[in-house]
Amino acid sequence: MKRILALACASALALAACGTKGGGSEETGEGAGGVQAGVGVTDSDITLGVMTDQTGPFKNLSTGITHGNELWVKDVNASGGVCGRDVKLEIVDHGYKADTAKTLYPQIEPKVAGFVQVVGSPIMAALSSDLESDEATVTPASWSSELLGNPYVMVVGTTYDVEMIDGLSYLQEQGKIKDGDTVGHIYIDGEYGANGLRGSRYYAEQHNLNLREVKITSSDTDLTNIVTGFKGAGVKAILLTTTPTQTGSVAAANEALGLNVPILGNNPTFDPLLHDSPAAGALDKLYVVASSVPFSADIPKMKEVAGKYEKAGYSEPPNAGVPYGYAVAEVWGAVLRKACENKDLTRAGIHKALQETTSADTGDLVAKLDFSQPGAPATRQVYVAQPDASVPGGMKYVKPLFESPEAKEYQAPHQGG
Amino acid sequence: MSEIATKSPPEAPERAPSPKPRRDALWWVRKALWLVVLLVALALPLYLEAEWLKAGQYMMVGAVGAIGLTLLTGQAGQLSLAHAFFLLAGATAYTVLSGPTGDPELLGFGLDPLLALLGAVAISAVLGLAFAPVAGRLRGIYLGVASLSLVFLGLYFGQAAENLTGGTSTGRPPAEFSLFGFPFSNEGDLEILGVPIRETERVWYLFLALTVIAFLLARGAVGGRVGRAWRAVRDNEPAAAVMGVSVWRAKAGAFAVSSAYAGLAGVMTVLWFDLLKPDESEFGTYGINVSIAYLAMIIIGGLGSVPGALVGALLVNGLPQVLALYSTELGWSTGTGEHAFTPILISSFVYGAAIILVVLFEPGGLAAIGRRIAGRLSGKQRERNGS
Repeated sequence: MKRILALACASALALAACGTKGGGSEETGEGAGGVQAGVGVTDSDITLGVMTDQTGPFKNLSTGITHGNELWVKDVNASGGVCGRDVKLEIVDHGYKADTAKTLYPQIEPKVAGFVQVVGSPIMAALSSDLESDEATVTPASWSSELLGNPYVMVVGTTYDVEMIDGLSYLQEQGKIKDGDTVGHIYIDGEYGANGLRGSRYYAEQHNLNLREVKITSSDTDLTNIVTGFKGAGVKAILLTTTPTQTGSVAAANEALGLNVPILGNNPTFDPLLHDSPAAGALDKLYVVASSVPFSADIPKMKEVAGKYEKAGYSEPPNAGVPYGYAVAEVWGAVLRKACENKDLTRAGIHKALQETTSADTGDLVAKLDFSQPGAPATRQVYVAQPDASVPGGMKYVKPLFESPEAKEYQAPHQGG
Repeated sequence: MSEIATKSPPEAPERAPSPKPRRDALWWVRKALWLVVLLVALALPLYLEAEWLKAGQYMMVGAVGAIGLTLLTGQAGQLSLAHAFFLLAGATAYTVLSGPTGDPELLGFGLDPLLALLGAVAISAVLGLAFAPVAGRLRGIYLGVASLSLVFLGLYFGQAAENLTGGTSTGRPPAEFSLFGFPFSNEGDLEILGVPIRETERVWYLFLALTVIAFLLARGAVGGRVGRAWRAVRDNEPAAAVMGVSVWRAKAGAFAVSSAYAGLAGVMTVLWFDLLKPDESEFGTYGINVSIAYLAMIIIGGLGSVPGALVGALLVNGLPQVLALYSTELGWSTGTGEHAFTPILISSFVYGAAIILVVLFEPGGLAAIGRRIAGRLSGKQRERNGS
């Protein structure tokens, strides 16, 4: 017994001899090229963080985004990097678990200048206050305008509420709905659904629509009874802020019940896999609004990225995450170059450069972005697309980038002034 | 950390405490070992970086909750899947009680954080007591399923009561904890041995204190009259009633105590996340997965064993975090593809395997293994004393 006691004491002593840790030292100083360097920036590298989901429910989309990020990094380093420095990614997997992300954050934070990708709304919510106090600029893989309350959040693309407003305005322009009509909105409770609902409520108020709201959870699969209810209420259109599976259920019920009204969905409601589902024949009434393009878009830049994806030899089938990830990284590149011009690559310098970025161009992968207004979506332009199994990627455009007058007037929740 | 189980085994809960505690060498060694564990825990913030402390704090959150559940399920024999609900109740109660007054959208009472913490524990206990009539009528798997309904109730209320919880889309930040004016934040300069004691270190000490209090109270309850009543009811209700134990009171008491522990763990959860955010689906911070994780902790640790619950929490709450941190530090598994073998994946395999192995080969859990080792050691000692 004494031996064990002695062993325990010895190990305690050994621990004590390990030396104490240093305090959080933030070295900033003049680096190469007379540029002020901050956390995550050395004379040769700029490191950006990626907190992604490689094992959880969103691993397909997240992996696509990560590959998009990686493709851009490869491109930019091949062309000499940013500010004379190579861009590197520090990738961690949190498995869509907020607790794991919360622990990983203090480990990755001192190594990176900012976060080019943070997946998951629970994770983003848990990290938001940390990111703000560390002044780290971050691009969440979510498009809720509620996130814009944190000034360090950079949402690449428009937000769910604006998508809804633009989409409704498109339906009205096409004569599919008119003032005073009844429309139904099915949404998933949470950041995503609540934000989409905010948009449809705004539009309904402007145009005196009678909005019937139905809240569901992300695990519901059969929505036939809701559509039956809508039929009884005489809706002229169905709005969706749901998962792709739920979109399929609604589309199938819409046809089966003979309701046959147009269905308007936010960006995440469609997945090319729907063309292989039982609802495949009923998708012709679906309109999807988004500010970023699908993988198969007929845009020169997209074709270039698609070619690179193929060459890179990734084993996963590509999805809309790839161009989005590439576009986000490209915007980051623009911001970093701006910071470099200002000779300030500290986190504060990067944030300042972000606010000075008024027209980030991604070759139309995403609409042109203006980050100068804190709290406001960086763009209010969207595409409208319809499912089409005959084209690669499963979607064809019915209306190019546009911004509706209602969306222009719309006041986002954290918009100043 | 397995030395906690192996070196300092718990007293067998089945064994009635002897009227005169044994004060032999082994008793002193046990006490000394607990002291060493405590000293190491006290010294860790001076050596570990913030991310490791964060992981450690999460283990302590689990430990407090698991101790509560092992009292209820292990000692009093009531299967409960409602632990996550009481976590949410405690978390919400703390945030509301300590929240600022006068917010048009969010209800707040502006209480002192310490009062709010005690209030949250009390509210959770009362809620547990309110469930007691159900707990008193059902047992076994029926009680488990009935208690599961509370998790769904919590899911609904978390989403519906936006003026309390802040709603699913943004949640609501809790008041920073402070003790008699000492803030558990980055404010003020405080150094121990040249190490700046900032938010993470301060919260570590707060959580450590809460865990120690929770642990000592649970040990006291298990060793005392209350614990004997719980075990009597668990083993045979009529026999317990004959011996003068009020079955109803014992069951209700166990539920209230366990809920209070879960409520405290809930308060620790919001302080750890710096956020109260109700779940969007059944899986989340207060979802079914959490109830099951707590069951896993007490099964791995050994039903009814308080130190076992500690070790179970270290494994279940700690392993994913520690593996993730280690692998990032060492640069393992940097793959990004579909088949990347990430630490999150490994840790789910490890803790799944741990449960299966425990149930197959040692239903008494790690506590039973610890007890056996202790038995062997004390046996040897007796031989030596005899010769």
